[in-house]
Amino acid sequence: MKVRKALITAANPRQRTLPLQMLIDQQGASKSALQIVLEEAAAAGVEEFCVVVCPGDESAYSAASGALRDRVRFVVQRNPGGYGHAVLCGREFINGEAFLHLVGDHLHVANGPTSCARQLVGIAESEDAPVSAVQPTHESLLTAYGTVGGRLVGGERPLYQIETVLEKPTPTVAEQQLLVPGLRAGYYLCFFGMHVLLPEIFDLLTEQGAAASGRPVGLSPALHALAARRRYLAFNVAGRRYDIGAPYGLLFAQLALTLAGRDRDRMLTQLVELLATR
Amino acid sequence: MSLRVTDIIEAEAPETRDLAIARWCAGRSTAELLRACGELELYRRRQTNLYCRVRALFFLSAIHRYHLPARPDFPRTGRVPYAGFSRVLERRFEEAITGFLRAQEAQGANETLSSALAAAYHALGFQTLADQVRHTVRATRGNAWIFRLGHPQDQPLRVRPELLRAGGGTTPHPVLRERTPVRMDLTHCGWSDIFFLGMDFPEGARVLNVSIDLGLHGRDAGPRPPVEAYFRIIDEPVIRLASVDLEASAEVRELEEVFDFGRDYLGLLKAAIIAAGLVPPGIERSGAKLADLLGVMCGSGRGFELVSNVNRIPKGSRLAVSTNLLGALIGACMRATGQIRTLTGPMEESERRMVAARAILGEWLGGSGGGWQDSGGLWPGIKLIEGVTAQPDDVEYGFSRGRLLPRHTLLGPDRIPAAARERLQESLVLVHGGMAQNVGPILEMVTEKYLLRSEAEWSARHQAVATLDEILRQLAAGEVQALGRSLTANFFGPLQTIIPWVSNLYTERLIQRTQAAFGDDFWGFWMLGGMSGGGMGFIFAPTRRREAQERLQEIMLTAKRELETALPFAMDPVVYDFAINEHGSVAALLTDADALLPAGYYQQSVPRCLRQEARNLTPRERTDLQQFTQAARHQPEFAAVLPTLLDRLLPSATAGSDTGRLDTLLDENGFDRVQHEQIRADLRGGRIGLAMNRLPPTTKIEDVPAESLFDASTAPEDFCRQGEAALRAGEVAVVTYAAGVGSRWTQGAGVVKGLHPFAKFAGRHRNFIDVHLAKTKQMSRAFGTVIPHVFTTSYLTHAPIERFLRETAGDALDRTVWLSPGRSIGLRLVPTVRDLQFAWQETAQQKLDEQKEKMRESVRAALTAWARQTGEAGDYLDNLPSQCLHPVGHWFEIPNLLKNGVLARLLAAQPGLRTLLVHNVDTLGATPDPAMLGWFRAAGATLGWEVMARRVEDHGGGLGRIDGRVRMVEGLALPREEDEFALTYYSTNTCWVDIDRLLALFALQRSDLSDTTKTAAAVRSLAARMPTYVTLKEVKKRWGHGQEDVYPVAQFEKLWGDMTALTECTNAFAVVPRARGQQLKDQAQLDVWQRDGSAAYIETLGDW
Repeated sequence: MKVRKALITAANPRQRTLPLQMLIDQQGASKSALQIVLEEAAAAGVEEFCVVVCPGDESAYSAASGALRDRVRFVVQRNPGGYGHAVLCGREFINGEAFLHLVGDHLHVANGPTSCARQLVGIAESEDAPVSAVQPTHESLLTAYGTVGGRLVGGERPLYQIETVLEKPTPTVAEQQLLVPGLRAGYYLCFFGMHVLLPEIFDLLTEQGAAASGRPVGLSPALHALAARRRYLAFNVAGRRYDIGAPYGLLFAQLALTLAGRDRDRMLTQLVELLATR
Repeated sequence: MSLRVTDIIEAEAPETRDLAIARWCAGRSTAELLRACGELELYRRRQTNLYCRVRALFFLSAIHRYHLPARPDFPRTGRVPYAGFSRVLERRFEEAITGFLRAQEAQGANETLSSALAAAYHALGFQTLADQVRHTVRATRGNAWIFRLGHPQDQPLRVRPELLRAGGGTTPHPVLRERTPVRMDLTHCGWSDIFFLGMDFPEGARVLNVSIDLGLHGRDAGPRPPVEAYFRIIDEPVIRLASVDLEASAEVRELEEVFDFGRDYLGLLKAAIIAAGLVPPGIERSGAKLADLLGVMCGSGRGFELVSNVNRIPKGSRLAVSTNLLGALIGACMRATGQIRTLTGPMEESERRMVAARAILGEWLGGSGGGWQDSGGLWPGIKLIEGVTAQPDDVEYGFSRGRLLPRHTLLGPDRIPAAARERLQESLVLVHGGMAQNVGPILEMVTEKYLLRSEAEWSARHQAVATLDEILRQLAAGEVQALGRSLTANFFGPLQTIIPWVSNLYTERLIQRTQAAFGDDFWGFWMLGGMSGGGMGFIFAPTRRREAQERLQEIMLTAKRELETALPFAMDPVVYDFAINEHGSVAALLTDADALLPAGYYQQSVPRCLRQEARNLTPRERTDLQQFTQAARHQPEFAAVLPTLLDRLLPSATAGSDTGRLDTLLDENGFDRVQHEQIRADLRGGRIGLAMNRLPPTTKIEDVPAESLFDASTAPEDFCRQGEAALRAGEVAVVTYAAGVGSRWTQGAGVVKGLHPFAKFAGRHRNFIDVHLAKTKQMSRAFGTVIPHVFTTSYLTHAPIERFLRETAGDALDRTVWLSPGRSIGLRLVPTVRDLQFAWQETAQQKLDEQKEKMRESVRAALTAWARQTGEAGDYLDNLPSQCLHPVGHWFEIPNLLKNGVLARLLAAQPGLRTLLVHNVDTLGATPDPAMLGWFRAAGATLGWEVMARRVEDHGGGLGRIDGRVRMVEGLALPREEDEFALTYYSTNTCWVDIDRLLALFALQRSDLSDTTKTAAAVRSLAARMPTYVTLKEVKKRWGHGQEDVYPVAQFEKLWGDMTALTECTNAFAVVPRARGQQLKDQAQLDVWQRDGSAAYIETLGDW
């Protein structure tokens, strides 16, 4: 498997300006969230990008794409048909290849020098299987994420064989269907906003769309169906995701980026001063 | 090689593992049994397997309770260390056992200590089992997270957007309605649905459970799902709770109020909210604000309202109404927060199982408990519910053999065809007999017998399990007549073998009369649930079912009227209409004009709104009024509540009639108003009260050595001869105290204890009076004499006992059987807070398990508030008049014989009469035994007292040397609780009286008895010298549809045992065997009483 394409969804009508928000990256440069996402993918070896946007957003997003602008293709989701439908809009662009899928409202900060996307693509290529990045998440936050259930594959890497995928489960359901041995009590593997998928997912999304008869199509049910069909893995990435659409999400993302970068000391000094005066 | 006792527990082979402990003990000596106890004690301490431990505990309990005391060489007397007893009360059983075993080493084994060990082992066994069920309930997947959640911000649940929709202004929030049928158990396979049994013996845990709709025959239009739960969002940051049937509502503003179950009648709704995770149990005592939690779930400034409705189905129906209501409430809450996938329609199988698991959790939280089949109403139609063996993935694995939650197999039309279902419905008449009894003791008995593998019960259990397959086959084939036969055989066979107390005279009378009325068209009887008398089924030929519904109502009502003074009825019997419900629990979303709560809800809430100024109404109240008004215009159900609603707006005109009846009763029964006011003043002034009952702390209290007492088991031949001669000469009469209503016997139900048909002798149910008359008849016949038998009565018991004796004794009444009507009466008082606190804090109390303890604390807080609000030491008037009065203690019983002329008439009829044997109505072994009579005559005393070796359960004083004088002392007079434990002998309250010496004590002679003024003055004079005790008694108040509340009330009494304190009264004391002195105070004692041979002994005493 070789991953050289990335599909980024940014077509949520309620959050269409989020990827355009400006932040300072680890190197101290001012960039849009979209540009940071694109650069994360590029660093993982991706050559071509596709961003799914709402009608009329193409030019703004193009302007926010920075130096990678020329390698980005914009696909418009004409009508809001759900997250799964947005992914399906990229089918033509992907054209039968394996691809990295990212969401436009999540930023990722790795614990070490290897970026989150690089870690994920490496695993997918070595395992030759679709892989979703996951992060152990406290049960109180479950209703914000897609969550997987499964078992540890073994070996030194935190790699799991996925058996179940549920979108935004309640802890009641999670406890019954999504318990993963080895995790702390009250923690579940939730999506990280980053997946390496095979084109097979588009068939599943098409089937889901046909069955949905007009209702929004999610990605999680298609991923659940994928788990039943083939070896589908989850990888606990050494890093953290930041949902910039959540309350204070942009602020936390900025803090995480800065504390992991060049201006760490400056940020810490400012924070300490702030804490000392409040 | 002989089988060791622990081998029974460890054995793989069923023939050894299921060996009855009684069989193993048979033929073994005291030393061997004590050695076995030592082995079991070591075994249970090192054993990690739960059920092996529990079984060892029950073996230990049985050996100490039944088998050691049955050995003739086993020492009878010893002392229970008070510290150990306190540990038992505090539920620190392990420490208690260690203490008792140390005492056993020091004193040597004896019956007194064995009774304490038996009680501690028994309680530890049940505690271990209950802890395991609780642990499993908490650990069950899907339940555990709610115990981890401790902060509002961590609450992951959100109310679904469909419920938050409001059009603004006066558009109502949508209402989510969950409708649930109740369940009936078509097999009753030996209470195998008790959690402990299902988890240890899953193979035997099988029931056929049917979901049904219900209606009251003659009242409701037809059957419908009786249980309803309603959930809606409100624009106030509070939780509103309302129970339509209990006519209770509350607005909960603080988090801790949600966990306060006993505060009002809304405990079930609160348990549902907690069990559904809306207010998770982990957040209790976190200090968080309810409004914050609600804000996270429902949106800022919002809360929710939860309403329950069971369509006035009476309590005690044995159809698991409360568990299914809990299930419906939890279901509604879980749907509202997305824990159940679908907002409307039926639930999926996994969701029903989740709700059932949460309902078990809710029952544990609320301190109640049901069987694992009780939430069967969530499932549709007919299903087979079976125990399941735990697998390695289950939380129960390694702890218990079975899983907590059973498997439900729906029996569709392929297994039970539609025609067969139809036939069942065409033949079955469901009723509520009107009795509402606590089945808790029965469930404990069943569990214990199962663990001991008592032979007859174990074989009956297998028979009951096998009955299920037979019933299933008959049902599938539509053979309802055969089904009726099987159910009847199950009731009279296996079920009564396991627990004889499931039947009662009322039930058997109904069966007989139905049989007589319908002959071969009466196909069978079926007991629903834990015990009979409440929910029951009668099966008839379809052609006569309709007629049977009407006739059964008459038969039940007539039988109830005959027995209502003897058995505790909570209400008049009713007949149901029912239909099998093929849908299970189903939800609907009611919007706009249909967004209505049940009509009964408005009946309660609208009058409150109407009493307010329109401008003060909240938007919710305004919307509710509009919704109701609109509904009342178009929907007959809502229009029908208008008259009642208007009645509620006006003050009741009927109040006061009961007060009039009470005054009449007081006047008729010689109520002394001056004395009453004095007692009230003393109570308020703190001059009398529970604390003042006690003797001064400086009182010297010593035990009485055995040498100072006459031992009845060593009575010389002479005594026997003298006694026989006195009996033949007609010198003896028996007096039975029958004035009381047995507060403990029926928890204050106010029935006549003497008339309670509590057990079968010679094949028939007999009451206490029957038993005493049968004994007297046997003695009279044996000695060819007449032994007059007097029953003392009170305002509560006189008329029913007189009626009973007229029917049974006929012309013997007033010839050989006499009634001595009471001449003293008291009016109960609202207790003082001081006395309530003394009773709850200063006296040793049985600590309950965690949840029940919380419940009790909460109830006590409510009762304290009630006492303050109603007025401490005020007259207790808020109940039926007869429940407001009280008898004034048994001291007055003998003086009443003097005052009411009965003794004078007795002496006139039988001038040779010299001695009375006086005893409690529940002392079944008391007889005018010749040897005892000979002893008393030889002692030359005024009064002769029978005492027996104390057991741990014997409380209330005993025989002691008090400041140097040997006398009886009441438990409530002892300065310290532990004083009682220093007294080896317990009072049987059986007393021999020398008539002439007693008269002399009253300064009277036989000839004075005709002078009522003189006798009254003599009695008053001696009464003044007797101490007055203030006591708290429990009294039931019945209301609604079979609901009951228990209130503590203050009353006073004088007690006969205090006669021993009079220096001029000469006394003699004798130790008698337990079989002679044992009293039956509590119905939970019955099973033990039957199993330890006491019942068989009593049977030998009577001429039946």
